[in-house]
Amino acid sequence: MTRGAPGTRLRPLQRLRLQTRLLLISAIVLAACLGSVGWLLDRAFRATVVAAAEEELRAICFGLLGLFEEREGGLVATHAAEPRLQQRGSGYYAFVEPAAGTPLWRSPTLLATGRPAAPMPKRPAVGEFHFEAAGRSAPHFVAAYTVNWELADVVTTLWVLADQAPYRERMADGRRRIAIGLGAAAGIFVLAQLAALAWGMRPLRRMARRVRALEAGDQDSIGTDYPPELSPLAHNLNSFIAAEKTARERYRRAMDDLAHSLKTPLAVLKNALREPGPSSALLGEQVQRMTTAIGYQLSRAVAAPVRPTAGRVVLAPLAVRIVRALERAWPGKTAVVDLPAPASAANLAVRGDERDLMEMLGNLIENAFKYGRTRVRVSLREPSAGDAGTLTVAVEDDGPGVPPAQRKAVLQRGVRADAATEGQGLGLAIAQELAEDYGGSVTITESEDLGGTKLLLALPPHPGTADVA
Amino acid sequence: MRLLLVEDEMLLAAQVDKFLRDQGFVVDMAADGETGLYQAREFDYAAALIDLGLPRLDGIALIKALRSENIATPVLILTARNAVQDVVAGLEAGADDYLAKPFDMDELLARLRALVRRAGGHAAALIRYGPLELDPSRRQIRVDGRPVALTAFEYRLLEYLAMKPGRVVSKAELTDQIYEQDFDRDSNTIEVFVGRLRRKLDTDKRFGFIHTVRGQGYRFGE
Repeated sequence: MTRGAPGTRLRPLQRLRLQTRLLLISAIVLAACLGSVGWLLDRAFRATVVAAAEEELRAICFGLLGLFEEREGGLVATHAAEPRLQQRGSGYYAFVEPAAGTPLWRSPTLLATGRPAAPMPKRPAVGEFHFEAAGRSAPHFVAAYTVNWELADVVTTLWVLADQAPYRERMADGRRRIAIGLGAAAGIFVLAQLAALAWGMRPLRRMARRVRALEAGDQDSIGTDYPPELSPLAHNLNSFIAAEKTARERYRRAMDDLAHSLKTPLAVLKNALREPGPSSALLGEQVQRMTTAIGYQLSRAVAAPVRPTAGRVVLAPLAVRIVRALERAWPGKTAVVDLPAPASAANLAVRGDERDLMEMLGNLIENAFKYGRTRVRVSLREPSAGDAGTLTVAVEDDGPGVPPAQRKAVLQRGVRADAATEGQGLGLAIAQELAEDYGGSVTITESEDLGGTKLLLALPPHPGTADVA
Repeated sequence: MRLLLVEDEMLLAAQVDKFLRDQGFVVDMAADGETGLYQAREFDYAAALIDLGLPRLDGIALIKALRSENIATPVLILTARNAVQDVVAGLEAGADDYLAKPFDMDELLARLRALVRRAGGHAAALIRYGPLELDPSRRQIRVDGRPVALTAFEYRLLEYLAMKPGRVVSKAELTDQIYEQDFDRDSNTIEVFVGRLRRKLDTDKRFGFIHTVRGQGYRFGE
């Protein structure tokens, strides 16, 4: 068995559907791409917001410089600070602090709360501006600028703080927009992907559907209307199917011709042996052995049980056909074909070759006509729980029956229960061998209703039988 | 009694010929199908022995030709082929009995005598599909044991469909099978027959014997 052939164990990944594989890969790629795009966009947006905050605080800081006038011995605030520093709850605070000691000036917004408790960064060197965005948890942006008031002979640091909450809101808002945009893009991408898959997989699905129809025996090729990637495969499969069919037919014809060309001389020999001679008994026996061997071996040789292109053979019409043909040759015997209701009868099917099924059923039914005194009954039943899922054909007659001790022997190759009748047992042995090739069996029991032999042919049902119902 | 033996194996033919002559028959021999057909047309034989594997016109084609020309000579086929299929095909073509090679001369004689005695006409198997029972020899139908009166057309239509359960049969195919050649081939009449059959067989629509497959035809069973 090659890898991947039916019945081989597959690793879980090998068992994944093609569609699932493609979707999985695109989902991973999509998540990675959109994730990194989102992360970059978010970072860029945050940086913009922080830069805007820095600019704002720098402006406020430098604006503060203009508030003060240098006097000897100190600084005097001459005007009121800008509105943002006056309005309580604006979220902006400022104070001016000399190198040591208490602040010289506080913005009105700070008067109520005092100096913020947040840890302040180190004050910058004279003439330097410092901005601290701090971490996410820090409540404020902090800007500081240290000035040397030469006239007043004082070095002060101007501190400006801004509440981060409004900026955070802007960032969150930006992130939301990015998420919505990317989500929409992802949705469109997934839809497009699904549409592409549905379209792209359509030829494969078509092929799969036709292979199923082929297995069911509804079709004998898978067609040629496939895209270039698949058409060589379809072409090869079609030629393979056709070649297999031709080869099988040629083989059968050869076997038939062989049977014909061997049996006719055997018939001549057999007839010639009617004149008693010194070794006619021995020769007669050998002719019989050869006849048996040819009948048996050739029947087996042409059997074609489960092939890739095996069809679906419905048993009911076959049984009816055989009974109606054979009853012509056995006048005076009445036959009954007992089938389940039409709906179920159409479903009693076997995967295989019609000729093989005919051979199995035909040999059993012929046996019943041959040995039944007046009555033959062929019944087909739907599989029941007790039958372990097999289809059963019962062929009964009102003949002498087969004694239990001989039943096994009758089914063995060429062993005959009654040497006086030509070919008895051989047909049953052939049917039995064929049934075994098909995963079934033939058993001999007694017919309760008719009193003669009851032959039971058990066969596995066509796997598609349930689908068709 | 005059017999026709159509067999291409000269040795076997000569043996059978001698044996049958010894038994008091008059035997005409033909070594191929065409000669056999010619002979059968010319003379009224009590029975014909026909080998299935014949040159020029094979046994089954020969029997079909005979039957299509209403030549009712009883036919016993001799088959050296291996399959039940050939026997069934031969009997379906119109043969009345068969014998597999190599056969026993005494059995051949017994079969021939029975065949000649048999005055045509044989019982036909009763076919039961659950509640539906077809009796081809009397052309009668019963549903749940109650007889249903059908016209000859209705019976033929039902029998043809019932031999193909589960298969879709087109209206054209039905028309071909049911009607004599010159019949009015209006496919609507098939619809009418099917409608009548449904009403007669399945009054309360319990069984669903005949289904319509839109645009394709009819199907017996699901």
